[in-house]
Amino acid sequence: MDEEPERTKRWEGGYERTWEVLKEDESGSLKATVEEILFQSKRKRVTESHGQVRLGMMRHLHLVVDCSRSMEDQDLKPNRLTASLKLIETFVEEYFDQNPISQLGIITTKNKRAEKLTDLAGNPKKHIVALKKAVDTVCLGEPSLYNSLHLAIQTLKHMPGHTSREILVILSSLTTCDPANICELIKTLKSLKVRVSVIGLSAEVRVCTVLTRETGGSYHVILDESHFKELLMLHVKPPPASSSSECSLIRMGFPQHIIASLTDQEANAAISTSSGADLSLGGYFCPQCHAKYTELPVECKVCGLTLVSAPHLARSFHHLFPLQAFTESPTEQLQKDRFCQACQGELKDKSIFSCPSCCSVFCVECDLFIHDSLHCCPCCIHNQSNP
Amino acid sequence: MLNIEGLLVHFPYDYIYPEQYSYMLELKRTLDAKGHGVLEMPSGTGKTISLLSLIVAYQKVFPLEVSKLIYCSRTVPEIEKVVEELRKLMEYYSKQTGESNNFLALALSSRKNLCIHPELMHANIVVYSYHYLLDPKIADLVSKELTKKSVVVFDEAHNIDNVCIDSMSVNISRRTLDRCQTNVETLQNTIQKIKETDATKLKMEYRRLVEGLKEANVARETDVYLSNPVLPDEILQEAVPGTIRTAEHFVGFLKRFLEYLKSRLRVHHVVQESTPQFLKDIFDKVCIDRKPLRFCAERLRSLLRTLEIADIADFSAVTLISNFATLVSTYSQGFTIIIEPFEDRTPTIANPVLHFSCMDPSIAIKPVFQRFQSVIITSGTLSPLDIYPRILDFRPVTMASFTMTLARTCLCPLIVGRGNDQVALSSKFETREDFAVIRNYGSLLQEMSAIVPDGIVAFFTSYMYMENIVAAWYEQGILENIQRNKLIFIETPDAAETSMALEKYQEACENGRGAILLSVARGKVSEGIDFVHHFGRAVIMFGVPYVYTQSRILKARLEYLRDQFQIRENDFLTFDAMRHAAQCVGRVIRGKTDYGLMIFADKRYARADKRGKLPRWIQEHISDGSLNLTVDEAVQLSKHFLRQMAQPFRQEDQLGLSLLTLEQLESEEMLKKISQIAHQT
Repeated sequence: MDEEPERTKRWEGGYERTWEVLKEDESGSLKATVEEILFQSKRKRVTESHGQVRLGMMRHLHLVVDCSRSMEDQDLKPNRLTASLKLIETFVEEYFDQNPISQLGIITTKNKRAEKLTDLAGNPKKHIVALKKAVDTVCLGEPSLYNSLHLAIQTLKHMPGHTSREILVILSSLTTCDPANICELIKTLKSLKVRVSVIGLSAEVRVCTVLTRETGGSYHVILDESHFKELLMLHVKPPPASSSSECSLIRMGFPQHIIASLTDQEANAAISTSSGADLSLGGYFCPQCHAKYTELPVECKVCGLTLVSAPHLARSFHHLFPLQAFTESPTEQLQKDRFCQACQGELKDKSIFSCPSCCSVFCVECDLFIHDSLHCCPCCIHNQSNP
Repeated sequence: MLNIEGLLVHFPYDYIYPEQYSYMLELKRTLDAKGHGVLEMPSGTGKTISLLSLIVAYQKVFPLEVSKLIYCSRTVPEIEKVVEELRKLMEYYSKQTGESNNFLALALSSRKNLCIHPELMHANIVVYSYHYLLDPKIADLVSKELTKKSVVVFDEAHNIDNVCIDSMSVNISRRTLDRCQTNVETLQNTIQKIKETDATKLKMEYRRLVEGLKEANVARETDVYLSNPVLPDEILQEAVPGTIRTAEHFVGFLKRFLEYLKSRLRVHHVVQESTPQFLKDIFDKVCIDRKPLRFCAERLRSLLRTLEIADIADFSAVTLISNFATLVSTYSQGFTIIIEPFEDRTPTIANPVLHFSCMDPSIAIKPVFQRFQSVIITSGTLSPLDIYPRILDFRPVTMASFTMTLARTCLCPLIVGRGNDQVALSSKFETREDFAVIRNYGSLLQEMSAIVPDGIVAFFTSYMYMENIVAAWYEQGILENIQRNKLIFIETPDAAETSMALEKYQEACENGRGAILLSVARGKVSEGIDFVHHFGRAVIMFGVPYVYTQSRILKARLEYLRDQFQIRENDFLTFDAMRHAAQCVGRVIRGKTDYGLMIFADKRYARADKRGKLPRWIQEHISDGSLNLTVDEAVQLSKHFLRQMAQPFRQEDQLGLSLLTLEQLESEEMLKKISQIAHQT
């Protein structure tokens, strides 16, 4: 019974979409379509983020994933749950790539309850394993926004003040089943300076608008899968630190990787934090207490020192010294060949973007890629290496 | 500061919608021509402030042409909204010109804010309810001293004909007569008492009545008063007839009249007669002449004044009867008398009611059109525009319908004509009990409840229909499925229950639980309550809300419309159904930042005669592709629409398109565009 209507739905969906595009072209007077607005906001994101703002480098992010009945909807392929989990996996990787000294935890909510999938930790592998397992979960009942947020607060509130406290909710359902008034909880979140952002998979829900507005987070609703990915990746970049957050010097250890020989006495006293399955001889030793870890970054379980490697810190740094925003100009003004310097594609959009220091031109997509992932202008680098 | 064809208008906001400018343009032309206008502009586009700022500016520049603005609205909250806008405008004026405000505005809303200082009669702006102008019983007290050079605005006037009719119609039940009986007895006792203590008072009154109502006549001729439709001109030239001149005689007369009415209510079958027939019958049976009947209302008022009875409210029953007497003896046309021994729904319980029903709305509103130089009828839903001048019997100089300029298409009207099993959806009488239709309606609501966030409002054609459908849904388990997605609230005829349901509904929308409100077209919810933003993301209209056609009053009215105004029955019924449907679906869009789905679940909406009667601002968004959708197709479109609308939308996206700064407004290109907004008919 389920099969039949779904198939027609899918077919209708494709049909309606092409027609929708046609319709917008026809109405000439109302030419600013939603797509146009979206394009503008895409650009705005890039330009906006390059003000002189302080960004929190150490982040604590709780990811809340809705696993309620509505996640079975097949408007994302093969269904919302599988598609979301896959995207979240890439998000987790990207997150730790861009924020090496941050932590992340995952909470799932279904059947009016919230459960911890993984604790707040700095190791992407664990999360990814858990996410892979979660694909098989049965989607049941309604989500509970209240319970999930409450659960997240329990750990987040113990995090030190100089780090960011964030919650990102992936909400598919349009309802939430709460044991108490959520407005009270929003106040608590606000007082604890927890920033809650929501990505909706179906439509705009009022309570989320209020929640994100009050806590200073962002609220977006996806249009399709690629838009979903885009929205998720927005959260890779650290949010501006609130001026009220504490500034403090943090002690960090930079352990060296040492491969101990079997005869070494210290090898016996080593602790391995990785799953324990593979005991290794080599590892990182805490400069303070000589505890051994197989992976960085980590917080030393013995003396509480944050252990990082220098490249980690350096990667977190680009947030502090971002690449300049490229200047936007209409394509018509361009005298030279209309090709993007990065992807070599023809520049068809109505505006192009040029690097202020080397004057190379790029298309929108490359502009976004350079700012979001590369963090340096490829042409500038090229010029440096070939003087 | 805007320049509207040479008139400088202070507009208190930084930005203006293009349609507001266009609206003011039309309004100014109407005022210039000193004629009446019918203007339709969607709600939430700032109709009120456009009206106020233009008319106030007009008053300032041409104080001799227009000296007063009378703004009539329907409900107390609406009146308060007007006052709020007016206050903003006045503040802006005093800031701009630097001088203190010499404008006097007066708002009459409810009794608790009532002030009767005589100076208020000279106010420049009066804001009050329709009834103060249309209801002859109140109009006489409040509105008679308004000058001719006034501009009268009826806002939310899509139901103005019904208000007119109601104000002239009288329903008399047995209870009314019983209460009237007590009233008459009280009157008699009071007269007795006064006679013993202060007989001169009654003598004075007698003398005054002998002189007749000359005073009123003088006033009317010299154009001081608004004429009272209850009190026709001829009466004024005559003195109160001798038979009811003394207080005792009058009370005796009332008693006789009352007995007659009682006897008329003792019927076992339905009686319908015209007013002359009724007058002949009353003359034959109890020898009451037409003339004293005509003076009944005036005579009673005089008596109550003489007896110095403070609480007039107690005497509502006898006032009602005397008004009835005056009306029935004054108008030989446009009214009908129907006596029903029982209600249609409960044919076994005797509950006789005498309906004295007005069939011609133009009777009540005629003095308004005749007296004031400009009368503006405006609302969000007035389509088709040309029918209002016909049923209200006036000749407008401007008739225009304005569209809503939008930066994004924020309304999505869909006509769902079929279920997923291809069964045609319709609320028409033959398929009303059809199981398949009810099931498909259920699945429509269920599917929508799964994809629409927060609040959904569903309208049914009547309480009875709603009850049947909800019961069937319960049996089929549909209700349970819906409740998994949203809570369900139901409007009932009981006002307290309904307001409770509304409150809980709004709470559920607020905290993310989501809710559905099941209500009835023509009910309280469909007329007065706005579902802004999350309180109404979708409205579903189950069926076409035709009025209950078996009612004898309606039949009489239709017949009258056909004979007098050449409006075919079907045309009027469709017009009436569509204006209610438009009202219902219009509840969700209350501004340009708002968005909502409008789902018409009946295949008859796709027909040109129905669709063509929707307001232009809704009609232009119905594309050919959305005329006969199945439930699944509608779900797909809605999902897409809701996602699009959930994308961030800021003020700057509207600027230049649907929101203008002064510079943008003055550009040549924009003025050309604006001229296309108004659609003259």
